[in-house]
Amino acid sequence: MTTELPVSEQAPVKESGILVEDSGVTEVSATERIDAHLANDNVAENAAVVSEDEAFWKSIPEAPTDKEVKLLRSLLFSREIAIIEKLRSSYTNAQYNAKKVGNILAEAILLRSKSDNGLNVALESVVDNILQSSLQKRKTEFVDVLYPLMGPTIRKSIAESFRSMMADFGKSMEMAFSWKGLRWRLEALRTGKTFSEVVLLHTLEYRVEQVFFIHSDTGLLLSYLINEEINAKGEGGDTNDAGMLSGMLTAIQDFVRDCFKGGDVESMQMGECTIYIKKSRLAYLACVVRGIPPVGLQRKLEEILEMLLIEYADELNDFCGDTAPFADAARLLETCMLSHYQREGRQVHPFWGKWVPYALALSFCIGLGVVYYGHAANIGAHREAIAVLRAEPGLMIVHVQEESGIFDRSPWKVIAFHDEFARMPADILTANGMDAALFSFNLVPFISHDRSVVLRRAEKSFSLPETVSMSLDNGLLTFKGTAPMAWILHTREAAMLLPGVKQVDMRGLRDPLAEEIARRVKIVEGVTVRFPAGGDMPITSDQPHLNNAMDALVELERLTRKMGIVVSLTIYGHADATGTAKRNYEISQARAHTVASMLYARGSGMPISIYGMGSQYPSDEKTGEYEQEKTMRQAPYGDDLASRRIEFRVHLTSQPTITTERLLSQ
Amino acid sequence: MINKKVCMLGAFSVGKTSLVSQFVHSVFSDRYLSTVGVKISKKEIMTCGKEINLLLWDMEGKDAYVDINTSYLRGAMGFFVVADGTRKETLDIALELREIAFKYLGKPLPNKLLINKADIRNKWEITPEMLEGLREKRIDFFCTSAKSGDTVDDAFKSLTEEMLQEQNSAK
Repeated sequence: MTTELPVSEQAPVKESGILVEDSGVTEVSATERIDAHLANDNVAENAAVVSEDEAFWKSIPEAPTDKEVKLLRSLLFSREIAIIEKLRSSYTNAQYNAKKVGNILAEAILLRSKSDNGLNVALESVVDNILQSSLQKRKTEFVDVLYPLMGPTIRKSIAESFRSMMADFGKSMEMAFSWKGLRWRLEALRTGKTFSEVVLLHTLEYRVEQVFFIHSDTGLLLSYLINEEINAKGEGGDTNDAGMLSGMLTAIQDFVRDCFKGGDVESMQMGECTIYIKKSRLAYLACVVRGIPPVGLQRKLEEILEMLLIEYADELNDFCGDTAPFADAARLLETCMLSHYQREGRQVHPFWGKWVPYALALSFCIGLGVVYYGHAANIGAHREAIAVLRAEPGLMIVHVQEESGIFDRSPWKVIAFHDEFARMPADILTANGMDAALFSFNLVPFISHDRSVVLRRAEKSFSLPETVSMSLDNGLLTFKGTAPMAWILHTREAAMLLPGVKQVDMRGLRDPLAEEIARRVKIVEGVTVRFPAGGDMPITSDQPHLNNAMDALVELERLTRKMGIVVSLTIYGHADATGTAKRNYEISQARAHTVASMLYARGSGMPISIYGMGSQYPSDEKTGEYEQEKTMRQAPYGDDLASRRIEFRVHLTSQPTITTERLLSQ
Repeated sequence: MINKKVCMLGAFSVGKTSLVSQFVHSVFSDRYLSTVGVKISKKEIMTCGKEINLLLWDMEGKDAYVDINTSYLRGAMGFFVVADGTRKETLDIALELREIAFKYLGKPLPNKLLINKADIRNKWEITPEMLEGLREKRIDFFCTSAKSGDTVDDAFKSLTEEMLQEQNSAK
């Protein structure tokens, strides 16, 4: 049933201080009505009305003097005339008017002051003048009246200021010397904030009391969390009310947005409490905070809202009133509340309160000492290792990046040039009993000319036999010992190309096999086989020499085959000057041919070149044997036996070609 | 828990607030209606074996000079339009508001027409023919009385069931 009543049935309304009732309900006389009418005007207006009325009365023509008319008027209007006369007399009577105005003055002032401030404006200057005049005339009386009031007020104000100053002084002392103050100073040092900022941050007390997670469109509450303390005290209402609160909060935002055509409401301030609102299209967070929260709280709210939006994106998009999927949202809301909840200071036992800070300070100093010692030792170890590395041949340190932080034990970064034949830095450190993990290396390859590195490079490059030793002095690489000729020849070529080697001395190297070959070549080339005059068969006495030479050649062929050397032979045939040149040429060639045939007959496979030299190269040898023979046998083989001869020349070829002279020079 | 936002629309002085204040849990003063233009109350209903919270947005009444603030309709899942049986013009306003709500929300949401003051049926200006006309237009209506409580619960229950059906069909 509606509770509205019709206007006609409503109770009489008091309007403008006068009872207004329906006609016929209450009898009111004409006079009273006029009085009431007069009372309804204010005093100023009344004064104007009086002067106007006097003019009105004067403007009325005098009553007719006719007796009949007077009689008639008295008969017809005697009552009205009496009333008018009474009214006239009362209206022109100042004392009567003052009385009437006095009766209604208080109500009139009250009514006017309720409707507007016109009365204040009218009276302001009057009251000012009155007060000034009164203060000047009666100063003593005013002081007497105000003293009992002003004295306690001033005393209270001074006491309050003094107390506040002492409290500030006490707090400053506490901040300067207490453990808390020390801790905050450390925090200021660590975070780069000023000490006053840190103190302000810690002394600001605030409490997140309620957090609402609300669906933007419907204003329906999705999740809600209330501070346990508030909940226990019953100050925050219950969850059921939170549902309506969230609706109303949404409605108020809509209302403000519609009214001011602006953006979203971001916060609402109500005394000590502030409602922070972080809004998105789908949902918003409203956080009721008592006190002044840090700026970080709003950022935290934004982060939590973002996390909620990510976690419940689908549910929010498809939201149709079911809040069950948001049951876990309180978990996120809780992080918001707890992370910024400031606990009240704990009561600490006086003993602990006094000594714990000292103990902690002492521990801190000891810890600092230990850390500093560790730091210094760490730097010392690094520098010692660097010195070892710098002394290592084939390793050139270019740059060392020192990590000098007290708590920073990360490895120093080292950039270095490194020869591939030098030792690795980690191996050097390990070999010297140092920790290889002290550094991280960035190695750039390069070629070192350091003596030991060059020797190591030579060893690895040449596959040095055990029978050979090497030394390096001012770029001169000297080999000593015995080695196969092939290795010697190869190494001689390669050694000159080796970085760090300017000259090679291989005179200290010898090959036993090459020496044997050289000996046999010498035997062969030293043999001279002589022939009788006109004959192409060697004389009997030289046959053993020829055999020796042929044996040596067969052996030489065997030896050189092992070394990959090809041996070839040239036989030069000679004749004496007797006879024609043609005949001499033929006989010299025949002699060389005979010996070659004999050599092949012995199984030799070497290539043999034969040359008939005629009598162009007579022998200048006068051997003792020949002289002896000439004397003894009266020159049975002719006068110039020494010129009728053959000579051997041995050729050794290889890749590269090795000449006999070269081989002999080894 | 399932929550539903339900708006109460209607002409000025048709008894919306009386319906709400008598049958639902309310913590806010009626003063909000004339200041913010809306007052939110809550009605808990058990239907279809489920406990449903109806968040009732009781909106300021419409008359010749005051239009409703349609932004309060945003996100509504159902609504009541309320008319006064003793003033037939309020029925026209109710039907007009119904159309405004449809237009604003962009779809025909579950809704019920409540013709209030059924306890003084003899003073009604809305005639049975008019009611018959509503039936022909397939408009669900309930003749309610905030005074006696007649059929109010049925109306709430009926709207809630329709909203649940809507929710299920949306899935």
